[in-house]
Amino acid sequence: MHNNKKFLPFIYLLPTGILLTIFMIIPIIYTFYLSFFDWNLIAPTKDFVGMKNYIEVFTDPVNQKVLLNTFFYIVLLLVLNFIIPYVISLIVKFFIKRMQGVYKIIFFIPSLFSLVVGAMIFSWLLNPVSGPVAFLFRQSGFVLPNWTNSGGLAIVVICLITNWKVFGYNFILLLTGLGSIPKNIIDASTVDRIPKWRMIWNVILPMNRSIAIYVLILTIVQGLQYAFTPINVITTGGPYYGSSNVLYHTYLNAFVLYRTGSASALAITTFIIFLVLLYLEIRFVEGRSRYE
Amino acid sequence: MNNKKYALWHIPLILIGIIALLPVVFMISNSFKTLQESYQSILSLIPNKPTTINYTTLNHQVNLVHLIWNTFFMATIVTLGKLFTGLLAAYAFRYYQFKHKNLIYLLFVATIFVPFTIVMIPNYLVIAKLNLLNSVIGVALPQLCDATGIMIFLKTMEKIPGSLFDSLKIDDIPNRRIFFNIVLPIIKPSIISVGAMFFINSWNEYVWPTLILKDKSSFTLPLALQNYISSEGGTNFPLAMALSSIMIILPLIIYLIFQRYILNSISNSGLK
Repeated sequence: MHNNKKFLPFIYLLPTGILLTIFMIIPIIYTFYLSFFDWNLIAPTKDFVGMKNYIEVFTDPVNQKVLLNTFFYIVLLLVLNFIIPYVISLIVKFFIKRMQGVYKIIFFIPSLFSLVVGAMIFSWLLNPVSGPVAFLFRQSGFVLPNWTNSGGLAIVVICLITNWKVFGYNFILLLTGLGSIPKNIIDASTVDRIPKWRMIWNVILPMNRSIAIYVLILTIVQGLQYAFTPINVITTGGPYYGSSNVLYHTYLNAFVLYRTGSASALAITTFIIFLVLLYLEIRFVEGRSRYE
Repeated sequence: MNNKKYALWHIPLILIGIIALLPVVFMISNSFKTLQESYQSILSLIPNKPTTINYTTLNHQVNLVHLIWNTFFMATIVTLGKLFTGLLAAYAFRYYQFKHKNLIYLLFVATIFVPFTIVMIPNYLVIAKLNLLNSVIGVALPQLCDATGIMIFLKTMEKIPGSLFDSLKIDDIPNRRIFFNIVLPIIKPSIISVGAMFFINSWNEYVWPTLILKDKSSFTLPLALQNYISSEGGTNFPLAMALSSIMIILPLIIYLIFQRYILNSISNSGLK
């Protein structure tokens, strides 16, 4: 029994390779294929329609609305799930001395819970009629708007739900990045009586760039997918597609309207956007060492 | 001298801590209120007359034991699968030199950026073809590998000095033994924490199971909970909160036991 040594690593990679081929690579190719056809998931024949599905991604009014919503989602997700946790991690790192561990442990707890639980709690908390927040508003003479009737407000609430879930996770990642900056650099820049915020802006943020970009991209890619659950549980994309995003709309086309062609074209479009983000990630994060 | 200045910075952090935990405390407290009381005393954290009525009602409406078992079974299969494939792959990247190694690794990492929408139609068709609709096996099958695991395991294995591997190679120790008897024990903390995270994520999973599990008897906990939430309003919140409270017990226990490991391994996942 003499094994060819060249062959050995591939035996270890085989299980992952087989699974990825069957459930990831072939499906991507097949979805690409489906995007050029009209098909209802059941019929024996598929009609070739060329680029029609792709043209509709950008010309169909509902799709345009959903793409616009998706852009709004991305902006909100970046503010809520990236910028705020980043600011908080800087505060914890540079402005407080105690309790860092306690904050880490507490902030992380919501990420242990299902987004269905999150969606349920927040639809109770923010219920415009019977919820505690509406109650407090009434006590102080305000009215909590009925956010389920407004696409924009519903998107804000949905993003808040994802924020509740991912805040602690992103906070810990960013804090770790800050922790890996060599202490002598931080010491050197604090010695000269420069204000702390200038030191953070000029020295710390550039040094922490690679992990920050990683979290930023993850925030968009995961956040849009995380939003799916609260959308489906609370608004089902409504009112009139007002809170739908491109991932939810893909699902709706595929499994509710049975239009696999439109769904596949939307999915491929999403994938291309994510691949551009991945390219940026490789450029800035994977491809270079940290202290150059 | 500086203590006052530092104390102020704690205010936003304490606020965030409250936002993180208070909803869950409310949820657990409301699950022990009657529907009437939940509307009457919205802001009270301690029920006037604590009752387990929601839990008994729930137990009449759904088969709780079966639900919990289904979810547990699925999460266990997914976790074991992801650990097995991830550890083997990470070992190949750590121990061997081979052609296109970087490219293959990048391809694995790239799978993190594949939106679920692009694979859901073909995978649904495959699971349907295999007659695995309405079965948790069908839910688990496409998710038995995970690039995040490979990344974290590889980073942990990179901390093992190369000289150790070199000396083992000289002694001609078979690979199987290096993997099982030497590498796995060294990276045990990382296996525990990644396994815990895989399990919790699978336990909570919603999107893919909704496509595969249509039959109520095959539901997992998140799908059962969704059944109690109506998008038209009129949700019986104390009942939904009772089911949610049952759902969060296991993830919380796992977190309490392995909290230190879990937070450490997250830190490792984003760093070069």
